[in-house]
Amino acid sequence: MINTVKSEWIKLRTVTMNWVLTIIAIVFPSAIALMTAFFKGDDAVPIDAHQLLQVILATSYIPVLLMMVVAAASITSEFGFGTIRPTFTATPHRARVVAAKACVVVLFSIAVLVVVMLITVLGGAAVATARGAHIDFGEVPTATSAIVGLVVLSGLMAMVGLGVGMLARSTPATIAILIIWPLMAEGLVGGLIGLVFSNFNVIAWMPFRVGFLLNALEVDGGPSRLTAGLYFGAVAVAICAVGTWFVQRRDA
Amino acid sequence: MIEVVDLTKRFGGKTAVDHLSFQVKPGVVTGFLGPNGSGKSTTMRCMLELDRPDTGTARFDGKRFRELDQPLHKVGALLDAGYVHPGRSGRNHLRWLAASNGIHRKRADEVLELVGLASEAGSRMRSYSLGMRQRLGLASVLLGDPQTIILDEPANGLDPEGIRWIRDMLSWLAGQGRTVLVSSHQLSEMALIASDLVVIGQGHLIEQSTVTDFVARYADVWVKVKSPAAGPLQQLVVAAGGTVVAPDPMSLEIRGLTTTQVGELAGTNQIVLHELSPQTGSLEDAYLKATAGSVVYHSGGSTTTGPEAHS
Repeated sequence: MINTVKSEWIKLRTVTMNWVLTIIAIVFPSAIALMTAFFKGDDAVPIDAHQLLQVILATSYIPVLLMMVVAAASITSEFGFGTIRPTFTATPHRARVVAAKACVVVLFSIAVLVVVMLITVLGGAAVATARGAHIDFGEVPTATSAIVGLVVLSGLMAMVGLGVGMLARSTPATIAILIIWPLMAEGLVGGLIGLVFSNFNVIAWMPFRVGFLLNALEVDGGPSRLTAGLYFGAVAVAICAVGTWFVQRRDA
Repeated sequence: MIEVVDLTKRFGGKTAVDHLSFQVKPGVVTGFLGPNGSGKSTTMRCMLELDRPDTGTARFDGKRFRELDQPLHKVGALLDAGYVHPGRSGRNHLRWLAASNGIHRKRADEVLELVGLASEAGSRMRSYSLGMRQRLGLASVLLGDPQTIILDEPANGLDPEGIRWIRDMLSWLAGQGRTVLVSSHQLSEMALIASDLVVIGQGHLIEQSTVTDFVARYADVWVKVKSPAAGPLQQLVVAAGGTVVAPDPMSLEIRGLTTTQVGELAGTNQIVLHELSPQTGSLEDAYLKATAGSVVYHSGGSTTTGPEAHS
């Protein structure tokens, strides 16, 4: 298993596009957070920790989504370029390959989000403080749990990306599904089901909708952060499991 | 030793490989021949369990492919040199393969040197020609120093020097006692490197034998004669039951009689011969005759198959 993880890590880090996306994933939210800390507010009403965190958590959806794309491409590019055949020739145990890929993309995604959080939270606080603002994240009771939740969300989203990639096998199709699903499909499907079960808020339990509660600063009603994590985690694991089953059943 | 037993693979209603069984012995190069669409590549994919066969198994020294621990040390396979990520360098392509089987990363540079790609090791593979990709594919086959080697059209895109190199390489590998199975459409090359043949058509086994036996069985056989008295000899041959083609006034190509019979006929009738030699068709002739009924994709216009069209 260790050898397979090493192999998957070499694959991930030797494709330029992955690094381009990673750099964007780090630079974009960092720039937004640092600029917000520098420009937002004035001497009379300086930026506070809550405002800074809101910006950081909102812009951090970008690295989360980009890492999901990296995770999806880790399998779809293999099918696209045909490298899945030498991969399975070198490691015939397909479930082992999928597990190794999941380890690599989840850990990579988490690592990138940790870096993003370090830069945005610490850097943003430093810049704002230098401008005279008082930044104390302790004043925001949900700050730590939201930041940890965001990092966890990035890992789970990477798993979802990998799982959908195994099912769709095509990078454009996978990305289309991953965009349409949270933005449109959940609302439509939830709305339709809600017509049947009118006394139950179905939309609130749509997977991505629940998953995005992981990094919310304020959770008003609906599942708790822990419940959201477990629920979305179960969905991510289920998608990966179905994807793995398909990968094992289908011809490579 | 490779043992393929009762292998069948269907795609929807089409049977690509149909209860195919054959063996590949170590120590010799075995050619895997068949027309386009005959199921060669599908068979190789099923052997490596990339495709799931409907029936049958392939075993490598008694083990199924999935039972092999670190298979690159046991089986080296090149199915398509195009199975690479174009944005990755050749060296990194080999390094991820090596890592997956616990092979030291230095081995990647060793095999790149061996196949003559050391100077391009760091280049991205999108800049590689087909020939370079073939060489890289062969480097990946050699990574684990495997006992069994399976190659699908390895000479595609190679220049004459490359073709000669791969011929020598395969002969050398087989000479070390390894099991080598090679599919190719370049029959002249196959005639030079292969000792055994597995010939399939429409998913069925047509023949498994040595190249010599295959040619003897399927290729045209005739006697070539040069004589200043070709005309009188032609009459005698026809009278003796042979058939004759006269490509020029002094030459005859005789079928239906052996070299001995033609020599005795000429001697008895005091006819001077300048040449008397047995002739055998090429592997290509034999192959075309053997697979004539199994060709799936015919070219437009007149189709020439079988030795008659070439003799």
